[in-house]
Amino acid sequence: MANLKIGRMVMRSLFKKPATLMYPVIPREYKERTRGHIAVDMNECILCGICMKKCPTDAITVSRDARTWSIQRMRCIQCSCCVDVCPKKCLVNENAYTIPDVIKIADTFEKPDEPSAAGETSLKCDDTCVFCGICVKKCPAEAITVDRSAKKWEVDNEKCTRCSLCVESCPKKSLSIE
Amino acid sequence: MGKRTIIPFGPQHPVLPEPIHLDLVIEDESVLEAIPSIGFIHRGLEKLVEKNEWPEMVYVIERVCGICSFGHGWGYCKSVEGNMGVEVPARAEYLRTIWHELGRMHSHLLWLGLLADGFGFESLFMHSWRIRETILNIFEETTGGRVIFSVCKVGGVRKDISNEKLNDIENTLRGIRAETTELTNVFLEDVSVRNRLVGVGALTKQDAIDLCAVGPVARGSGLVMDVRLDGHSAYPDLDFAPCIETDGDCYARCKVRIRELFQSMDLITQAVSKIPDGEIEVKVKGNPSGEFVARMEQPRGEAYYYSKGNGSKFLERMRVRTPTNANIPALVKTLQGCDLADVPMLVLTIDPCISCTER
Repeated sequence: MANLKIGRMVMRSLFKKPATLMYPVIPREYKERTRGHIAVDMNECILCGICMKKCPTDAITVSRDARTWSIQRMRCIQCSCCVDVCPKKCLVNENAYTIPDVIKIADTFEKPDEPSAAGETSLKCDDTCVFCGICVKKCPAEAITVDRSAKKWEVDNEKCTRCSLCVESCPKKSLSIE
Repeated sequence: MGKRTIIPFGPQHPVLPEPIHLDLVIEDESVLEAIPSIGFIHRGLEKLVEKNEWPEMVYVIERVCGICSFGHGWGYCKSVEGNMGVEVPARAEYLRTIWHELGRMHSHLLWLGLLADGFGFESLFMHSWRIRETILNIFEETTGGRVIFSVCKVGGVRKDISNEKLNDIENTLRGIRAETTELTNVFLEDVSVRNRLVGVGALTKQDAIDLCAVGPVARGSGLVMDVRLDGHSAYPDLDFAPCIETDGDCYARCKVRIRELFQSMDLITQAVSKIPDGEIEVKVKGNPSGEFVARMEQPRGEAYYYSKGNGSKFLERMRVRTPTNANIPALVKTLQGCDLADVPMLVLTIDPCISCTER
């Protein structure tokens, strides 16, 4: 009986269309949630480097000097960790895969605007500050120092990436980027 | 008394998808002793806790294994959540249970295919994997990945499944039920399959206890052992009993996995009907600073996840003990006295995952 059963399955398969696709002649249909590849919107990116720090496989490299964001596709595991942590939401996990490479290359994207834009702005703190230190904890670049006893708030503008995470987290709304 | 010979088996062998090496001491056609050795694909994933912060470490831990990856991610999250006293929302626990049981189904269907391939039944292998593809499609639709999901996080899950989608999943599973029954009946009733499995590599219940066997290997020998019975996550709300067989041979282990395949379908149906609405994650504050051990019932058996924090962003120690590691002594025991031709079947029926074992 069992032999008949596998026979039935096999016979049914003979007259059905193939279970596999004739890839790549017939292109693969991606699902809405398919984690294909990481794409970046360089107009929004502020080169803060949080994605580089959080990437579990060190696939992302952000250079503030060269004003570039690059990703090694072979290293990236499409975990979307960078998408979650990006403060500007300029990273997105698109649902199509990239074309396979035979060599390990990095895709590099350049920030289009002038470097002076970041240099002209700086993080400011007004006198409503209560020196709670939340901004220190939130700062991914460790650019802020707060001394509660001396009532002193300081920022290292060289380190500051203007990611505005501190501005958003400040309970007294004392911080601003001007 | 015949001449004794040592035959090396693996790490590259047609029936083995993963590299385990066995030195088989044989006399005539019988195996007298088997000396296992592993260590061909150690990747040092546990060491990466020193480099990756604990929230990101889950993406590394779920890559311990490509088959039971969701369970590994969940086990890690569970150990860190226990460490920090995090209460996970009920909907997240149900979603985790649904994904984990789907993972068990795809793992068992994969194993059935590999077993069929092992004894040379190619069409059965192809049909097992064809049905498995349906589960992989569900994974891709709900998580974005086919084998690595990246949906589990400390404090809950990253993606929700809508109630309509959950009903679709239930309908899809109902649709493949008849086909799966037809497929598994071939494993259970076909004469050529039975000839390869029945009475081969019997492991007694006492041996299973003494050698600390876990999962379907232990349950195939009559041992009632299933971490899901401990009542974690959504399992206390679901009605199920562990699948137990008493013969302890390859056929019993195969039967346990087949029964578990249908049990997982039932568990998913129950979970879909009972899943509550609400949040899918809670915000986790602070860093882990204690020690915690979490246990999970992976498709291959019981797995341990130990985490030790020191109050910093990096865990001090992470340890995973996987089910294959626990089942190797039982394998060595069953190999003693078996025929050389049965060795592939015995190795396959513990469902070895050496990538898990070596991490």
